[in-house]
Amino acid sequence: MRGPVAWWNDPWRPPRVLVAVTVGYLVWSLLPVLIAVMFSFNDGKSRTTWQGFSFRWYWGDETRSVWHDATLHQALWQTLKLGVIATLITVPLGVIFAIGIDRWRGRLPSGANMLMLVSFVIPEVLLAVALLFAITSLALPIRLGTSAQVIGLITFQIAYPAVLVRARLATIGNQYEEAAMDLGASPMQALRRVTVPMLFPAIFASTVLVFADVIDNFVLVRYLSGNSSTEPVSVKIYNTARAAPTPALNALATLLLAAALLAVTVGYLVYRRMTRGDHTAGKGIAAFAGEA
Amino acid sequence: MAVTETPPQPAKVAGRTRISPLWPALAMPGIIWLLVFFLAPMYVVLAIVFGQVDPIFRTPVPVWNPLQWDPTQFTYVLSRIGPGGAYGPALIRTGVYVLIASVLCLLIAFPVAYYVARLSGRWAGILLAALIAPFWISYMMRMLAWVNLLQDDGWVNRIASMGGLFDVHVHWLTGQPVVVVLGLVYGYVPYMILPLYAGLDRLPQSTLEAARDLGANRAASFWRVTLPMCRPTIVAAVLLTCLPMLGDYFTSDMLSASPKTAMVGNLINDSVQSPGQTGQAGAFVMLVLLATVLPMFYYVRVTARADEVST
Amino acid sequence: MPVPNRPGPNRRQFLQRAALLAAGTPALVAFLDACSKGGQSTSAPSLTIASPSSPVKWDIPADNKAIADGLGPEKGGTLQLYSYADYMAPEAVKSFEDKYGVKVQISTFNDTDEALTKIRGGNVDYDIFFPSYDQIGRLVTGGLVRPLNHSYVPNIKNVWPFFANPWYDQEWHYSVPYTVYTTGLSWRTDQVPADIAALKNPYESLWDPAYKNKTAVIDDWHTAMAMVLLKLGITDVNTSSADDLKKVGETLTQLVAATSPKVTITMYSDLPAGQISLSQMWSGDIINAQSYLPEGVNVDILRYWFPADGKGLVDNDLMVSLRGGKNPVLAHLFINHMLEPEVAKQNFSAIGYQPPQVSINPDSLVADGFIPENLKTAIVRPEYFDTGYRILELDPANDTAWHNVWRAFKAGGS
Repeated sequence: MRGPVAWWNDPWRPPRVLVAVTVGYLVWSLLPVLIAVMFSFNDGKSRTTWQGFSFRWYWGDETRSVWHDATLHQALWQTLKLGVIATLITVPLGVIFAIGIDRWRGRLPSGANMLMLVSFVIPEVLLAVALLFAITSLALPIRLGTSAQVIGLITFQIAYPAVLVRARLATIGNQYEEAAMDLGASPMQALRRVTVPMLFPAIFASTVLVFADVIDNFVLVRYLSGNSSTEPVSVKIYNTARAAPTPALNALATLLLAAALLAVTVGYLVYRRMTRGDHTAGKGIAAFAGEA
Repeated sequence: MAVTETPPQPAKVAGRTRISPLWPALAMPGIIWLLVFFLAPMYVVLAIVFGQVDPIFRTPVPVWNPLQWDPTQFTYVLSRIGPGGAYGPALIRTGVYVLIASVLCLLIAFPVAYYVARLSGRWAGILLAALIAPFWISYMMRMLAWVNLLQDDGWVNRIASMGGLFDVHVHWLTGQPVVVVLGLVYGYVPYMILPLYAGLDRLPQSTLEAARDLGANRAASFWRVTLPMCRPTIVAAVLLTCLPMLGDYFTSDMLSASPKTAMVGNLINDSVQSPGQTGQAGAFVMLVLLATVLPMFYYVRVTARADEVST
Repeated sequence: MPVPNRPGPNRRQFLQRAALLAAGTPALVAFLDACSKGGQSTSAPSLTIASPSSPVKWDIPADNKAIADGLGPEKGGTLQLYSYADYMAPEAVKSFEDKYGVKVQISTFNDTDEALTKIRGGNVDYDIFFPSYDQIGRLVTGGLVRPLNHSYVPNIKNVWPFFANPWYDQEWHYSVPYTVYTTGLSWRTDQVPADIAALKNPYESLWDPAYKNKTAVIDDWHTAMAMVLLKLGITDVNTSSADDLKKVGETLTQLVAATSPKVTITMYSDLPAGQISLSQMWSGDIINAQSYLPEGVNVDILRYWFPADGKGLVDNDLMVSLRGGKNPVLAHLFINHMLEPEVAKQNFSAIGYQPPQVSINPDSLVADGFIPENLKTAIVRPEYFDTGYRILELDPANDTAWHNVWRAFKAGGS
């Protein structure tokens, strides 16, 4: 029979404090968002008082719901546009950059590596201001608006696939490629037929993560936006939040959250399938997020 | 077999010891992109900071030739960033907020990462998914959620007054440094948890068990074995989270809107489009860039040297 | 035995690299110079400042003539408006869209400085801009606005006669008025028991620690600092005296210490929501605030004060047609549309800002139930324009001095 003191001092006890901290953190982290999602289904205009359940802000309200308000459509469309274009360019660029830097020894590649790391860590507003100055002072073929936003996003995100791929290359090692070259392949062929397929999981993971990050980006797209048709959802939320937002804003953010969740879930499932037989790839979500 | 096989081609053998031109070719697009869209705009910033100002509109006129640079705007800012100057308080405040927020982030992230990495067993997958979730939720949405909760009639005040037991009417959203710091922590702590998780995941269990076997209790083995082993991870995670925090301006903007909590990011944001002040914004950009890049350089040098020295 | 694997540069390499850098820099500089946007620096020698005592008639340069008469509206384009947020009635826009079969898109700015910088940068193609008259000098001198062809805007006859020949734009070459407003103080009686209007110097109440954390000032450098000058009893709200500016700086520091106000332009929703209880406010905002009150809260808790003798800040906003816009005819038609009496009244009830329409009689607004009795002081009367203090455009040096004080305030410094 154990008393409460013995239970407290049980040497095989679970780490209660850590569990408490973790659970507390998760609640603190996710609860406000769940509340915001809940209020997107609010029947009234308030965002703090529950007035009943309805889909009013999704499609019910004639002028201000997400379905009917053209400005909200534009914002959603711009977000998805930026997400797709930026991701399509960033990932291949970052992947070949990582492969090249990894194999090429010398001062230039290590300098380039340093530059890439700095672009990873730099506060976003610095890059945004620098690009704004560049575009408004030089007669470049780029104007403020979608093209400028895409360029900024690529520059900011290129480090993501680069870092993930390099980490994976470090894990794989040189052996498969060298074996292929021993068997007669040229470096290019070895790359194409051995290395890159082994990198697919990392490439795929970085695609999904870059996409999720880009559709959420705020600072860069705000500085580099042209007129209001190039303002994505995050900027709309910021602009409207300082005035008098309706729950339509919550609805918009919930839709975006659903899109990001969908993208990541699909990505993870595909990742699992791809790495079914591969023993060098980690299996869990951590590996998917690039941390294995 | 050996007879029919083609003889080893000298070019191939040489190709493996000499650098194949393939790798630079692959890296070049990325390098050129970074040079053109990352380094070159920094030069434009310099040209604007040390440039002229249009006499009527007071918009910046960049001066490209370094020999013609005019340091007036830069010295204007420098002369005011001392503790007594007009911008001094904002810079000091930024440093203090980021420092406190980083420490808080670490205090929260480390236990969570440690638990999920080492002790959570079969819950690891779900917990990790929950930890990664904030990355996919719009940052603006998370901040907005907090703005709602912290309003004078919001849930935080309602819960604190426990249904009328206490009379709690704290004005959370008007210039409270505590709220801004907590906002920073809330926004950036997910970025710290993942690298910590990755690092802690790789700690060799055998070393930790050896420490316990040799007689150390939980606390001692943590303090004297675990912590030193994961110091590089902690440093990397802190850098990754805290350097971006230096440029944050929208947290203070959304949660406070008061000059009392203005950070250097607010200084930049307010002056970039303001006539006559763009050069000053550029000067702040340069200062924050230095504050970001120097720790990075130092960190890379230290880790590189560690690699060199290890046998 | 530790061996560094990267020897440092030897002297020859160092000299090579230095030579490369020295050779490359002028080439880079020349390249950037060639790429640079040439038209940025202005060739005009100075800025003409208009004021009630020295009215200005802007000339129309030869390369910026108004559009020809009798043109039809552009088809298929989108009319781009550039204004504050929540500053245009959606119904007014919709009726224009239906009438001419075009689309209208509104982009917003948070402050007029930023807007002017963006327009000057030349990267945008807005058609209509809604500045205040203190920017008209720079807009005209910088060649950013298009002169108006009066034949498209017959509705000018509906506005107060003064605006057909205002001192800032005689013979209305470039602008028409949009709204008129005063800048005063507003509060909620349920949170502020005192009667601010009865105080000897009502502006002082913003410095009263009793209202700590519940106040706000307008996030516009000239408006906020002008109010501080009036609080100090200085009536020249465009002063260039360094002494006065120093006093303003110190008073602002005291303000932060005393009540820690929010600095924002969203008081029209913050006050009704209860986030703030006392604020510097534009007259249009307090009228607009009625629609942001939560259910169950009565309109009569709102109050507005403006000096009864009209000796306060009085202003008006304009509509101008931007040169960079691609739909000049539509711009003229839209401006005319907004000066239509029914449309103007519709706009008034949607945004709260009063249009200077002859058909709107300030005395009958309360009687008609348009404005509640407790907000009668927010109605703008034509007489105010004779006695009020006008916020004028400042010459560049003075503008810099003012902005420096404001920047120090916003940085939370001294």
